[in-house]
Amino acid sequence: MNKGFEPNIVGFACNWCSYAGADLAGTSRIKYPPNIKIIRVMCTGRVTPAFILKSFQSGADGVLVAGCHPGDCHYIAGNLKCEKVMEVTKRLIDILGIGKGRLRLEWVSASEGGRFADVVKEFTEQIRELGPFLEKSQG
Amino acid sequence: MEPEEIRIGVYICHCGINIAATVDVEQVRDSASQLPNVAVSKDFKYMCSDPGQALVRSDIEENDLNRIVVASCSPRMHEPTFRNTIQQAGLNPYCLEMANIREQCSWVHEDKASATDKATKLVSAAVAKALLLEPLEEKEVEIKPQALVMGGGIAGIQASLDIADAGFQVYLVERDPSIGGHMAQLDKTFPTLDCSACILTPKMVEVERHPNIDLLSYSEVTEVNGYIGNFTVKVRKKPRYINMGRCTGCGMCAEVCLLKGRIPSEFDLGIGKRSVPYVPFPYAVPSKYTIDAERCLFLTKGKCGKSPACKEACTADAIDFEQKEEIVELDVGTIVVATGFDLFDATEKPEYGYGLYDNVLSGLEFERLVSSSGPTQGKIVVGGKEPRDVVFVQCVGSRDKSVGNEYCSRVCCMYTAKQAHLIHEKLPDARLTIFYIDVRAFGKGFEEFYDRVREEGVRYIRGNVSDIIKKGDRLMVMAEDTLVGEPIDVEADLVVLATGIVPRVDVKELMRLLKISQSPDGFLLEAHPKLRPVDTASDGIYLAGCCQSPKDIPDTVAQAKGAASSAMTKMAKGKVKVEATTAFVDAFICRGCGRCVEVCEYGAPELQEAGQGVLVSEVNDSLCKGCGACAVICPSGAISMKHFKNGQIFSQIEAVI
Amino acid sequence: MFRKSHFNVRKFIYDGFDKDMAKVVFEREGIWDCTTCSACLNKCPKGVDTLGFVTGLRQLMVEDGRIPPPIRDALKSVSTHKNPWKIGAEKRSEWAEGLEVKNISEGADILYFVGCTPAYDARLQKVARAIVEILKRAGVDFAILGNEEGCCGSEIRRMGDPWTFEYLAEENMEIFKKYNVSKVITTSPHCFNTFKNEYEGADFEVQHYTELIASLIQEGRLSFSREIGKTITYHDPCFLGKQNKVFDPPRKVLTSIPGIKFVEMDRSRERSLCCEGGGGRMWIESEDSEDRLAKIRVGEAMDVQAEILATACPFCLLTLEDVVKTEELEASIEVLDIAELVIKAL
Repeated sequence: MNKGFEPNIVGFACNWCSYAGADLAGTSRIKYPPNIKIIRVMCTGRVTPAFILKSFQSGADGVLVAGCHPGDCHYIAGNLKCEKVMEVTKRLIDILGIGKGRLRLEWVSASEGGRFADVVKEFTEQIRELGPFLEKSQG
Repeated sequence: MEPEEIRIGVYICHCGINIAATVDVEQVRDSASQLPNVAVSKDFKYMCSDPGQALVRSDIEENDLNRIVVASCSPRMHEPTFRNTIQQAGLNPYCLEMANIREQCSWVHEDKASATDKATKLVSAAVAKALLLEPLEEKEVEIKPQALVMGGGIAGIQASLDIADAGFQVYLVERDPSIGGHMAQLDKTFPTLDCSACILTPKMVEVERHPNIDLLSYSEVTEVNGYIGNFTVKVRKKPRYINMGRCTGCGMCAEVCLLKGRIPSEFDLGIGKRSVPYVPFPYAVPSKYTIDAERCLFLTKGKCGKSPACKEACTADAIDFEQKEEIVELDVGTIVVATGFDLFDATEKPEYGYGLYDNVLSGLEFERLVSSSGPTQGKIVVGGKEPRDVVFVQCVGSRDKSVGNEYCSRVCCMYTAKQAHLIHEKLPDARLTIFYIDVRAFGKGFEEFYDRVREEGVRYIRGNVSDIIKKGDRLMVMAEDTLVGEPIDVEADLVVLATGIVPRVDVKELMRLLKISQSPDGFLLEAHPKLRPVDTASDGIYLAGCCQSPKDIPDTVAQAKGAASSAMTKMAKGKVKVEATTAFVDAFICRGCGRCVEVCEYGAPELQEAGQGVLVSEVNDSLCKGCGACAVICPSGAISMKHFKNGQIFSQIEAVI
Repeated sequence: MFRKSHFNVRKFIYDGFDKDMAKVVFEREGIWDCTTCSACLNKCPKGVDTLGFVTGLRQLMVEDGRIPPPIRDALKSVSTHKNPWKIGAEKRSEWAEGLEVKNISEGADILYFVGCTPAYDARLQKVARAIVEILKRAGVDFAILGNEEGCCGSEIRRMGDPWTFEYLAEENMEIFKKYNVSKVITTSPHCFNTFKNEYEGADFEVQHYTELIASLIQEGRLSFSREIGKTITYHDPCFLGKQNKVFDPPRKVLTSIPGIKFVEMDRSRERSLCCEGGGGRMWIESEDSEDRLAKIRVGEAMDVQAEILATACPFCLLTLEDVVKTEELEASIEVLDIAELVIKAL
């Protein structure tokens, strides 16, 4: 059982939508678990597989990438580019034995504070179920 | 700079109790002081306040700090504030990094221990990135003192006049043969009952006469390239087949045309008819004729009678069937989008019988009927008779999930009240009923006008009309009177549907043309709904009028003036700073594959010759928006993002876990 | 005034906010008047599930046992005999006697799902037989379930019994699976609607029979040799038209029949006036005694000088024909199912 295991989660959020949505969750004082630490990028289109691998390499148990809903990207289609990259990245981390369940891509708009909190709560629980990553890889 | 020389100042804000109540700020401060290169680590009650900022400035000076980390609220809130602060102390504004320990920490977590732990990690990530930050220079570009205004309705007209009056050159492009837009189709306007044409035509004439306004009517913008201050625009001037210089507007061509009175007039929404050569309405500007190329027998079939009557009748010899379209290139500094709206097509609500019954009209069709310049000279006649019972139905196509328009069109309650008043004026014995869900009379003079209309005897019944069916040669309107909870049927000779405002049918093309976005409701997206209602996310492109969201004439004029003012502010300055967090290429590593060029939505990277047939990518800083897509796609890792380099993000990742 | 009932969904929903739901339901008249035609659902500008609300209310009443006897009997009959008409399951395929129709156990491209009313009601059995004849003439490979066929559950659910509905749905889907059924056509738009939209996890294609006939005509597999020289109008059944937007195939079939003069009533397609056959109304009359909608509808057909009022639903047929009989209009107008017209002209 994974009692007492606190997942370590890294989040990448885009400045215009999801980071703003996360801020809105804060202004609305909606609570969610503290396991996630967010790194701000201008657009999820910036998120390269290297960031994901680096995260797991550094000890993360899960990675959440949150961007704008399709059609809303401040840079036209950066989120869609990210979607394609994430598809390949998920397969890659599956092959590497990390497991694609540890990487999640979500669309959160600047007005979806509640939804951001819900996603974080759900993902944190999901990773808690999966258990710690590094311990797993060490057999 | 060599890493040993970096001296970081870390400041943990209490934000009163907003942060301090949940996060142990002293502990965070102490942990931070242990991090490499941190010369100063302090906590303070309100970092954004004057004393807070002064603290940072004095520390920079006294302690030779060259990087600053502020752990406080969201950077979306105060990044500009603190960038300014350190700039005042002589540091480059990009030497600042913030840690969000309020919106994304103290406000969303309850357990103090874990919140403090998270705050500590966020601060160490910020410190790790600060270590790798580099000073960046914001590039300045010049702004051409010319503006493009797209759309010649009241919004475009007002914006053009303001900008031109200030001394800037304006190119006003209008796709119809005349400017005026939908406002020209209105009879009297609420709540003052000003005659629309009377208040509009002086402005239209001013536009035509203005030395600084170049009116390109019957023209369309086909291409827009560039960036703020330097847009290159291609405009297609459609052929009128009439020489504008020679046409006197006498109208003989329309008189003698074989198809006179046979072609539905767009301006009169098909209720009135016109000729092939036409002016859309009597007070058109420019008041020159246009030959409708799609209906002209000579142009479509090559033959019109023995020879085109219009050409023979024209004493000014202005008819020119050889005329071709012309492509014009304009260089402008700013663009104002004032493309207006379309009217909801009520055939999407089949229960109202629009399109099936002749005596069911849309709001605008009724407006043409009641206008003295309209096809019936303002006589309200339906089926040859004056209507005795008239029913108005509000919220047609608005506030309606079933047709995909959840928003309120804002003008319909008032224009319905106005139309009821106009009928009452002309047909005092008519019985008028308005079915509504709510009455939105929010503006200046609106509620008073609504009261006046009710005092004139117009009956308001609260209930959404469910069906309109035929009863003999009249209509039966069925609804529930929700205030008493009973069904009600009203017979009518005429039904007027308060059809709502919808985005132009070609809004997506417009978006692609200008690379601007759409709001969820389909209208064009403003930069910030509260604080920046006339800007778009693209610098230098402004919105005015209903293209941004439904509104009435006073609000349109106000917004047009706002858009003009924003455009003028930029053009008056003559120069603008472009955001420095752009992409950059390490030319040594770049192998000129061109993937960055393909992936960029803005055309910022370009392959340039670097001698001996070698291609290397180079980024145009003014075009680059800093999204980072190129950095991901580059197979060589040659292109990266300033302020968001791979190394910088890696350092954040390592520290935050 | 075309008002029929005290039934006001809005009032029910409105009061439900403050008062105890059950008390509101039990005190109010009209809850069984609803025909579940879905006009309210299509109309609501805020996307409120008015129809779901009505069936939910009825469910409360069924749970409490407070149902009008005719409805209770219909529900019980379905549980016992797998049809609401209180006739034994062993008589379900008597209508097909002598027609030599294949049973689905022999395998076929298409399963013809007859439905409870066409199986048991004498008037509607003519329609079932007509459909069989048409399919044979077109060379379609079809079969029926025979006595294994059981109620689709559409009206059961709408009368407030979702539990029996689920049981029926599961059973039907199992039976279809057993015989590898990949495509189903139905006589009734009610069966069609529920198979298409309410059977979760269904992996078979379903069409209303008029859709199939329309494509058979299109493909040239059906041709007409006789004329019907009459003026015909078509009444869109709610479950076919309003709810599933199938407006054109029935019209295509009718206008292909030689000699026909096709006229549209004022209220056609989405605006079609419900005949009051759905939602349990086949078993219970409204408590109001104003004009039945079916009577108004027949009147509308006569307004356009139709000699034949065509329809494509067993319930519409019965309710409209009932009006013709009680108002003694047989000399002026005839109510026929599309299948019956096609057979006359083949």
